[in-house]
Amino acid sequence: MLSRIADSLFWLGRYIERAEDTARILDVTFHTLLEQKQQPFGVRWDPIISMAGEETLFRQLYNEPNAHNVFEFLAFSPNNPSSIMQCINKARENARTIRDRISREMWEDLNGLYFSLGRFDPQEEILAGPHRFCGRVIFGSHRFHGVSDATLPRDEGWEFLRVGWALERAEMTARLVDVQYRTLLEPTVEAGPPDNHQWMAVLKSVGAYEAYHRQYHSPIDPARVAEMLILHPRHPRSIRFSSTEVQSALRAISNTGPGSYANEAERLAGKVLERLRYDRIDEILQTGLHSYLTEIIRLFNSIGEAIARSYFYYALPA
Amino acid sequence: MTTLPVCAADPGLFGGYTAGPFYDEMFASQGRARSHYSRLFTKLGGMAPSQFEERRKLADLSFLLQGITFTVYSDGRGTERLFPFDLIPRILPQSEWERIERGLSQRVVALNLFLQDVYGRQLILKDRKIPASLVFSCRHFRREMVGLEVPHGIYTHICGIDLVRDSASGEFMVLEDNVRTPSGVSYVLENRLVMTRTFPEVFQEHEVLPVNHYPAELSRILRSVSPRGESDPQIVLLTPGIHNSAYFEHSFLAQQMGIELVEGRDLVVDGVVVYMKTINGLKRVDVIYRRVDDDFIDPLCFRSDSMLGVPGLMGAYRAGNIALVNTPGNGVADDKAIYAYVPELIRYYLGEDPLLKTVETYLCDRSDHLSHVLANLPQLVVKSVGESGGYGMLMGPSADRAQIADFRDKIVAEPRNYIAQPIVPLSVVPSYDATSERIAGRHVDLRPYCLYDGQNVTIVPGGLTRVALQQGSLVVNSSQGGGSKDTWILRGEC
Repeated sequence: MLSRIADSLFWLGRYIERAEDTARILDVTFHTLLEQKQQPFGVRWDPIISMAGEETLFRQLYNEPNAHNVFEFLAFSPNNPSSIMQCINKARENARTIRDRISREMWEDLNGLYFSLGRFDPQEEILAGPHRFCGRVIFGSHRFHGVSDATLPRDEGWEFLRVGWALERAEMTARLVDVQYRTLLEPTVEAGPPDNHQWMAVLKSVGAYEAYHRQYHSPIDPARVAEMLILHPRHPRSIRFSSTEVQSALRAISNTGPGSYANEAERLAGKVLERLRYDRIDEILQTGLHSYLTEIIRLFNSIGEAIARSYFYYALPA
Repeated sequence: MTTLPVCAADPGLFGGYTAGPFYDEMFASQGRARSHYSRLFTKLGGMAPSQFEERRKLADLSFLLQGITFTVYSDGRGTERLFPFDLIPRILPQSEWERIERGLSQRVVALNLFLQDVYGRQLILKDRKIPASLVFSCRHFRREMVGLEVPHGIYTHICGIDLVRDSASGEFMVLEDNVRTPSGVSYVLENRLVMTRTFPEVFQEHEVLPVNHYPAELSRILRSVSPRGESDPQIVLLTPGIHNSAYFEHSFLAQQMGIELVEGRDLVVDGVVVYMKTINGLKRVDVIYRRVDDDFIDPLCFRSDSMLGVPGLMGAYRAGNIALVNTPGNGVADDKAIYAYVPELIRYYLGEDPLLKTVETYLCDRSDHLSHVLANLPQLVVKSVGESGGYGMLMGPSADRAQIADFRDKIVAEPRNYIAQPIVPLSVVPSYDATSERIAGRHVDLRPYCLYDGQNVTIVPGGLTRVALQQGSLVVNSSQGGGSKDTWILRGEC
């Protein structure tokens, strides 16, 4: 497989996942706020901007964050390289350059998503709220997963797509937990303690609300929410599960068996998983969740760079 | 002939249709369809405009979703546009097609012999059948190719030869040859696919010769020219990339043939061998079907500012380590001034009379022709010899005084760069006019795609019918607002 094609598949996966994750967070945050009859401790828009990692850019473009400008910024803004529309555009551009290597169904599905999202009028949607738009994005991402699963041969191309999906998802969940934990556990004096609704929103944003109740049969407890999202072995959006996906895709590419590694990316993936498998949530909270997740996110970034060095970049022969 | 009077109360899609002064491929005379068009005419005549419009939207959506678009740069942004598809097929009877096919084969073989000769012993120049000065002054003549043995002696693996039907005689004639990197064949295959989906019942009523073996035939030829002659050579299609207007076609053909689609940056030359950069290291390449122009394939050999090519590619080619399809330097054979000599080439190399007519051509660097051209500019079409795609043209009858004066200056300054021809009154085929929601006659041409393996010429039946969708327009190029039609060769029809 050409390095350029592997590179494009990797980023195709990442951009689709980033679009979905951003849509999930936007949608759930809005609805939680809507459900609260009054907003006892003010509207906290900053966290979701931090999650996108674009605080500085936001401050340059807008003044105080509010429902309208946050939605515009995260969903539509051409100035925000991580906005949902920008992610979908870039996913489609990547797919276009490799359309001979993905299935016809995948390309047509993604192209259709691109056109259908393009028909949304940002101004109209901003007034209507994000549910309709975000719902379409999430559904579009799921459909793309389904179409890919049903039509793409299970060769290296599939694995590069999968590693892109999984790495992005792992990192987005890590950011989500980090930011939400910081915000929710540090209420301002006038705001009072956060209620369960906020934690429910966090669970819903990763589609883990029902799963949480099946697992714990207990009221929402922040430590358990963190445990579920970080360490759960089977929930498809937990950091541990996604990291296992990253490792398994990387091993499939290099044809490496368990217990060893073929390159730096695999070594780092194994290192992350070691922690996620054997650390307990009380240990993590004791040493500090923020520093723990910061280290995990740093490792994810290094995995991305190591994949690029192993498979995508070429030093030209002299 | 079948006569089907159009009902006066409900004229339907053909309401207000007149054949006009041009050769009408569907109608022998007003309201009388030619026999090979009779079933289609009956079908369309019985269709309400709204039904037709519905099918048309379906077809457009299908093209849009598949991303079968080309990019226009004139608006400065590089917008994606649909290549307009006209749902009414263009039909030719098999007997007529077979005559065309023989003429095309003859022409392709002669052009290949010409290229072998011009880059080899140059006998035709020594015999003074064509002026040496004319050949050597071709913009696309490549000195670098002289004396080079090309694999199997094949230059013209893929030719797109543009034909038009002259309204005066009703016969097909050659308008121009495209033997460098002709494009458009993907539309032939996609148009057919969309047609069978949109109009299945019409399709079933006709026995249309299939076209979808094109990729397999091309793939066979690409394999056969591999210099290492292995059973499983590494073949790639070299594209300028996603921003090229024909990018869809490049990826389509690569996918259909199961070969790697590469950009210049994916290839590297090391020790006069071409490699591609894969996730498992460098992998040797044997055959390159290149859709990058000569000028850009190798910055060390041709244009040094090219970012699209591969430095050292021509060195690997000279060393015999790689096959290039089509061969560099072919542009000398489709130069519009050389075109005037192709009938002579056919006689010289094959000892046969040309089966297809050509358009009378005035070479501006011949003083007797030049004076005629300058005196008759408003009646002529003037073409720049090295251009393609409808660029650099003057259509005398529709040009204003300023344009004519401008071209006169250009011709006088650089006569070798221009030829002139009388305007060929192109035939018309009934086509859908979206504004009036009725069918009207529109001018068409035909580009069949010819594949040559050194022994035989294979041509998929039909080719790309391009249609000038603007009323009265004679320019069919997609870059100039043209569209296309599915082309049907009907089995057994004569």
